[in-house]
Amino acid sequence: MLGSFLNTITLSLLTICVTMMATMGIALIFKTSNTTNFAQGSIAALGAYLTTYLAFDYGLPVWLTIILGIVFGIAFGVLVDVGIFRRGKNVNIVGKQIITMGLVSLIIGGIPMIFGADTPPAIPSFMRGNLTFDVMGTEVSITYHSLISLAITFVVLTTLFVLLYKSKWGLGVRVTASRESTAELVGINTHVITATSWGIAAGLAVLAAIMLGGSGLASISSTYMTRIQVNSFLAGILGGFSTFYGPIVGAVLIPLGLAVVGFFGRFSPFFQEWAEVIVYVIMLIVILIKPQGIFGKKIGKKV
Amino acid sequence: MNLQKEYLQQLVPQSTIGQKVKPIQSFVKNPLGQFAIFGLILLLVKIFELMGVISGPLLTSIGFVLVYSIAAIGFCLLLGYSGLASLGTAGFVGLGVYMAFYGLAEWNITILPAFVIAGIIAIILGFVIGFISLRIEGIYLAILTLALSEIVVQILKTLEASVRIRNADITFFGLQLGKDGAFFIIIFALVALLMVTANIIRSPTGRAMLAMKNSTSAAQAMGISLLKYRLLAFVISTLYASVAGFMYMLLITSITSTTSTILTLAFSLNILGAVIIGGAKSLWGTMFGVFFIYGFQQIILSDIPFFRNNPEFMTLVTGVLLILVVMFYPGGFAQMLFNAKWAIRTKLKERRVRKYGTEA
Repeated sequence: MLGSFLNTITLSLLTICVTMMATMGIALIFKTSNTTNFAQGSIAALGAYLTTYLAFDYGLPVWLTIILGIVFGIAFGVLVDVGIFRRGKNVNIVGKQIITMGLVSLIIGGIPMIFGADTPPAIPSFMRGNLTFDVMGTEVSITYHSLISLAITFVVLTTLFVLLYKSKWGLGVRVTASRESTAELVGINTHVITATSWGIAAGLAVLAAIMLGGSGLASISSTYMTRIQVNSFLAGILGGFSTFYGPIVGAVLIPLGLAVVGFFGRFSPFFQEWAEVIVYVIMLIVILIKPQGIFGKKIGKKV
Repeated sequence: MNLQKEYLQQLVPQSTIGQKVKPIQSFVKNPLGQFAIFGLILLLVKIFELMGVISGPLLTSIGFVLVYSIAAIGFCLLLGYSGLASLGTAGFVGLGVYMAFYGLAEWNITILPAFVIAGIIAIILGFVIGFISLRIEGIYLAILTLALSEIVVQILKTLEASVRIRNADITFFGLQLGKDGAFFIIIFALVALLMVTANIIRSPTGRAMLAMKNSTSAAQAMGISLLKYRLLAFVISTLYASVAGFMYMLLITSITSTTSTILTLAFSLNILGAVIIGGAKSLWGTMFGVFFIYGFQQIILSDIPFFRNNPEFMTLVTGVLLILVVMFYPGGFAQMLFNAKWAIRTKLKERRVRKYGTEA
């Protein structure tokens, strides 16, 4: 029993890592640019396409293509901020959302033009094979790919959090997040802050897409990150966007909840079929009780 | 007597007193009249199709634009007049689609009761979101409606993977519905809802919503009940979306939930985009926005050979145009038109002054 439960958890480990990465990007952009970035998933898919394309058509080594994919993601993110968001300062929040929506159309239309309409070959995984161990008579297995993804996620997120809370750049991000005009007044170069935030967010998105694409859980298409992206938004409001760690906790809770409810499916198919509905309804109730999210702080409003 | 006359003259400009009311002119200037004319034009389009002047696929594209317009005008009331953003349109439209299926194919009831049941369920859902909106605001509310829409869509997908109705079997007041009848019903529903919406906007309800949009605190201080008008706004927009879903089902007759485009986040965003680029406070602008996002590709661009051969390029062009319009005209096409009108008027005035040397 315990063994099969652990198997459920190890299976969802990769989804948790991917959602954490994607949520970090969404939270960064939400806080610095004050918008929900719907193009996150599309940018990620674009990076994933580039990675497999370089790996299979040009035969570059896998590690190099992954790095090139991430670098491309960072460049694209910076370009979006410098080219579009910096010029559209007087656009309101909903307008900014629509701009990211336009980016989605742009990328979804652009991908078949650049890479062709066929489904590309899957990204090679970091390392093949499973690690198996025995827990109370049941074999628990975990893929090396998930383990390496977990390690990468841990290192990347820890670095980011150290940067956010200990470095001068992180201080700038946090000040810009609380109010952009005040940040400008106290001498912070908000252009650099938002541009780097967009770059990091897009880089994280591409990394998440590469992790998911290499796991064999999903085949690459221009919309294959949409599910993760929706869960990331929900994770953000579940944990509360007013801190950086809140969304990350939410990003662990939602895929984990899905896996745990799915696990109960072995007792009754009801849980298997309705897993997502159950988790989302629980999430909705939690948010109704705490509208600012689990770790959110209530911010007073001036009339 | 004299005082009253003076007061009236102050109130009503001199030129209009004693002038005969021109029935045609006032009909055309009245929004309700404009919508009636719009409906007549659409009927003409349908008749042209029956005569063979317009091709069937083109008419179906027009039908989709009309159906999406129904959802968009409800959304226009929600976003443009009440200032509440929602990303849940897909879920509500999906609800209408599935209620059409259950009413018309599963339970085998006639179209009107099925329609009423779909409406009642949409109203209940609208109430739920309205109550949520009292606790959570702004962008958080938008993401929460996205969650609610995901719940609805997941429930629908789990209940039935693909739905199909046969609109040839449906009778409407003893007449066989079929594809032609469905189109007439869509035109009727759109024009009726446009008129209702225009009336709501000009009524005290619409003013109260506008006050709520501009400042919730000020509106409350004026005695406007947030509870009442937020509930109303969400109920109306959910109801319209559900009607749109019902009409969509009559038009397309079958969808598969996994491949359908209307049950996705992208659909909600496209409707939001249509309302924004059209001009969130203008009904005509909203409809033009829907045409721009959904009809532009099928009706205009697909006539150009280059775009017909590269359908991906149409999506790309739509995306680029969307970004450019929002960046440079945050008020949408309605603002663009207003600016153009203003520029022409100032030019004409300058010319008049140059020619005659007076302000008049």
